Amino acid sequence: MDWGLLITSYLQVFANPQVLLMTLLGAAGGVLLGAIPGMTATMGVALLIPFSFGMDLIPSVGLLLGIYCGGMYGGSISAILIHAPGTPSAAATLIDGYPMCQKGQVGLALSVAMFSSFCGGVIGALIMTFLSPLIADMAMNFGPGEMFMLAVFGLSVIIAISGNSISKGLMTAFFGMLLCTVGLDPTNGVPRFISYTTTGLLDGIQFIPFLIGLFAVAEVIAGAERIIRGEESVQSTNEKIDRVLPDLGTIKKIFPNIITGAVLGTLIGAIPGAGGDIAVFVSYGANKSMSKHPELWGTGIPNGVASTESANNGCSGGAMIPLLSLGVPGDSVTAILLGAFIMKGITPGPMMYVSELPTVYRVFAALMLANLCMLIVGCCGVRIFTKIVSLEKKMLYPIILVISLLGAFSINKNVFDVGVCVVSGIMGWLMNKYEFPLSPILLALILGPMCEKNFVRFMNIHRGNVFEITQSPIAMVFLVVALLVIIYSVWNQSRINKRTAAAKAEK
Amino acid sequence: MKKTGTKAFSNLVSAIIFIILCAWAWIQTGNFQTVNDFYVQPSTFPRVMIIGLLFFSVVLLIQAIVQLSTMKEGDPAAEPAESINVFKDKGVQAALVVIVLCILFTALFKTLGYVICAAIICAIIMYMIGKRELKQMVLVSILVPLGMWLIFFKILTVNIPMGPLTFLRDLLNMI
Amino acid sequence: MKSIFSKKLAVAAGIAVMAAVAVTGCSSKSSSYPTKGITAINPWAAGGGTDSCLRAFAEAMGKQLGQTITVDNQTGGGGIIGHQAIADAEADGYTIGMITFELSTYKKLGTSELSWEDYDPLCRVNTDAAAVTVNAEWAAANGISDLAGFIDYCKAHPGEVQMGGSSSASVWHIAGGYLMQETGIDIQMITYQEGAATAVQNAASGFIQGVTVSLAEARSFIESGHLICLGVMDSERNGVFPDVPTCAEQGFDITYATQRGMALPKGVDAEIKAKLEEACKAAIEDADFVEFMNNNGQTIAYLNSADYAAYLEQSATDVAAAMDAVGL
Repeated sequence: MDWGLLITSYLQVFANPQVLLMTLLGAAGGVLLGAIPGMTATMGVALLIPFSFGMDLIPSVGLLLGIYCGGMYGGSISAILIHAPGTPSAAATLIDGYPMCQKGQVGLALSVAMFSSFCGGVIGALIMTFLSPLIADMAMNFGPGEMFMLAVFGLSVIIAISGNSISKGLMTAFFGMLLCTVGLDPTNGVPRFISYTTTGLLDGIQFIPFLIGLFAVAEVIAGAERIIRGEESVQSTNEKIDRVLPDLGTIKKIFPNIITGAVLGTLIGAIPGAGGDIAVFVSYGANKSMSKHPELWGTGIPNGVASTESANNGCSGGAMIPLLSLGVPGDSVTAILLGAFIMKGITPGPMMYVSELPTVYRVFAALMLANLCMLIVGCCGVRIFTKIVSLEKKMLYPIILVISLLGAFSINKNVFDVGVCVVSGIMGWLMNKYEFPLSPILLALILGPMCEKNFVRFMNIHRGNVFEITQSPIAMVFLVVALLVIIYSVWNQSRINKRTAAAKAEK
Repeated sequence: MKKTGTKAFSNLVSAIIFIILCAWAWIQTGNFQTVNDFYVQPSTFPRVMIIGLLFFSVVLLIQAIVQLSTMKEGDPAAEPAESINVFKDKGVQAALVVIVLCILFTALFKTLGYVICAAIICAIIMYMIGKRELKQMVLVSILVPLGMWLIFFKILTVNIPMGPLTFLRDLLNMI
Repeated sequence: MKSIFSKKLAVAAGIAVMAAVAVTGCSSKSSSYPTKGITAINPWAAGGGTDSCLRAFAEAMGKQLGQTITVDNQTGGGGIIGHQAIADAEADGYTIGMITFELSTYKKLGTSELSWEDYDPLCRVNTDAAAVTVNAEWAAANGISDLAGFIDYCKAHPGEVQMGGSSSASVWHIAGGYLMQETGIDIQMITYQEGAATAVQNAASGFIQGVTVSLAEARSFIESGHLICLGVMDSERNGVFPDVPTCAEQGFDITYATQRGMALPKGVDAEIKAKLEEACKAAIEDADFVEFMNNNGQTIAYLNSADYAAYLEQSATDVAAAMDAVGL
């Protein structure tokens, strides 16, 4: 560890007004982009690449990281306010965030999300600064077998996010896994459940349009239904926001969740090819299992929001590790960042830590700065964002609908995706009505392709001998942990069900 | 005691729907092309998932049957399930209108363009759920789609179909 | 209040209609082309290799034409949606697009009826040659130091060597097939749908023995010594790696590269097409574009309209043969 270099790098970044300005602009843009469903940080980063071409490396990296971190937090805003996750990594935030909003705790939910995002990001950046050579070595050892078992481990948290009926949760999970086999088979390009003429499905069901439909469109359909029946108060809540950061008591309560979330997020982000969307669910599952009151999770408690938001921003730190040390991007934003580095004549890869160490440290510093900027933008924004829910519901629902449908289109500029969004909206509405949990479908859609691709690849490399997997210690650790998680969460769920029944009986 | 409206009954119906879906999907997997020299066929993974889905659907089916046969008043499973009766329930009718509008939106998106389609469904839904202030309705349903289009087109350079309003794009390009 | 609002609206509408008439009126004359912004369709996602190449080229072309060229990513279906959109676009010269290597594979795969004949090619912009790159440890353990050694090893151990390309039927996957077809060896191609970066990492960690991706994509691991490149499938050596020999130098006449170029839908006015061709030719030499491509590790390989058409015709048959070899 070269302390002198580290400190000078941080100073260079933090004392450079151009970097400060660019990062702040990036963070503001990222928060806004993330907050609108269908506009993702990926889009923002891709768009700004040509602009950043004229700048020096560090200001342009600051700008891009600002968008990245801002977008991670921004996604949670729409998840909390209108039940539409702005980015896939915010999909788990709405499990607790939206109920909080309905309880009239919008301001609290937003400030907890912001605070945990910030803490998660800072912890992630710190871990990266001090441990990245170590973690990079570990990431090198991830091959198809290890990735397959990682996916299995990720799937093991399904029970924890299934709600009160395990069989329904697993049904929807398997249904989701089946849905992600629609399209061309990843290994051989064989069409499954479609013919070659259905071009809209060749790449499978598009994730973001599906996500927008399942949550936002379904919520609008259900909202119209509730208003007509007179079940929903049409007048909106008008919460007074007296503070933009959560109070000390809340911070104390959510702090353990933030730490676990950030560490899990960083570690999962550090695995090449795994991103924030996986990290949030694993963190939610882990934090719920460790909680003394697992029955409260999903009813709108700050701990749920804290555990997911810290994980996805921690992940942005972790994702820098395989990006810089292996040149393997963890998600679409880092893929574009990789392009940005290459354009500046820096090729991320194993030589990065040898020949470009000052650049590496400056990237760490820029990430830290990006998180700070995100906090500043977030603080200014809480009051404004809260105004959105003070809009009359009769106006809010149609607005959400037209924005969501446009968002579904803009991802691939393909009208077929709007259809996917509408169909998944109907599905989400029906599933909600009959108490099928929605989150397992999402997790299945995220992990299904990863699971299948790597399994098939593993089998091809080892010529059909599945037991070769016992040769990999990393894979075996994941398998054992996955089994333990499954057993524990089944037991935990029965405990939760007993408690809820007892609570009901008391009433 | 009438059992058809209960949660257990709705579980029974959904389990049957998923079982039918499994059967259909399984038949489909039989039509997948097979690949030589590969250890895992394209149909393998979907089939494993179908078996999983089928297993838990059957579990739900059995649970539902047991709950239905031993049902007493006050069971959680005996609570009334949500209705989807289009003829009796006004809420479901409203939901259906929203769905139909969404489908129309998708169908007309390419020809009429985003702003017109969005303005129409926005206005209809607002009217349906009881918004009556005309000025606000007109403003919201025109300005929101127009604003969204502006953001996407001008800032994010995403080209959105505009139908008859395509001239707006050229107009904007000239400025 | 109400009347003022409607008056303003009427004025605005009037201006809009007049402007629309003016715009459509102008665009009918090909001599004054271009009078408005041009859209360039990209069949691949924002941020990828094609995207960065097209964005830089569109910038340079726009400078020549005096209009902005907006890149429109229409992705999906393995590039089919975007390629189809270019072919179906209105032939007024205001929609152009970038066609890529994958266009030559659709007919053979049966995924689409599209072929190069559905377009009016403008120019080829870039080619990136494939390279045979293997894990350094594995090569050392088996005494492989050049392409001949690799091919001898593969002949002695048929079907045992595993090489990674990117996704199925992608350019690097077919590169493996081409290698097999030209040298008569039998290797197993492992597909990497996530893209070349994962394949390269897997090869560097020794999960597979090598990759058939471009030098630019394997660059960092070659520099770190995890991988060694045995030969480039190009007619001349790569500028970044002057030490890496070509396959031809080692007695194997294999050239294989991905290609990207600009194309128009069929039926564009000849005068407009000529203007665009001219702009392409000038844009290729634009200093910013050249610098960008060099930094990006992408090779500029200009061919004019007629040569590009001939090249596309030739490559369609070559690609079909290579796809047979890899079993597609």
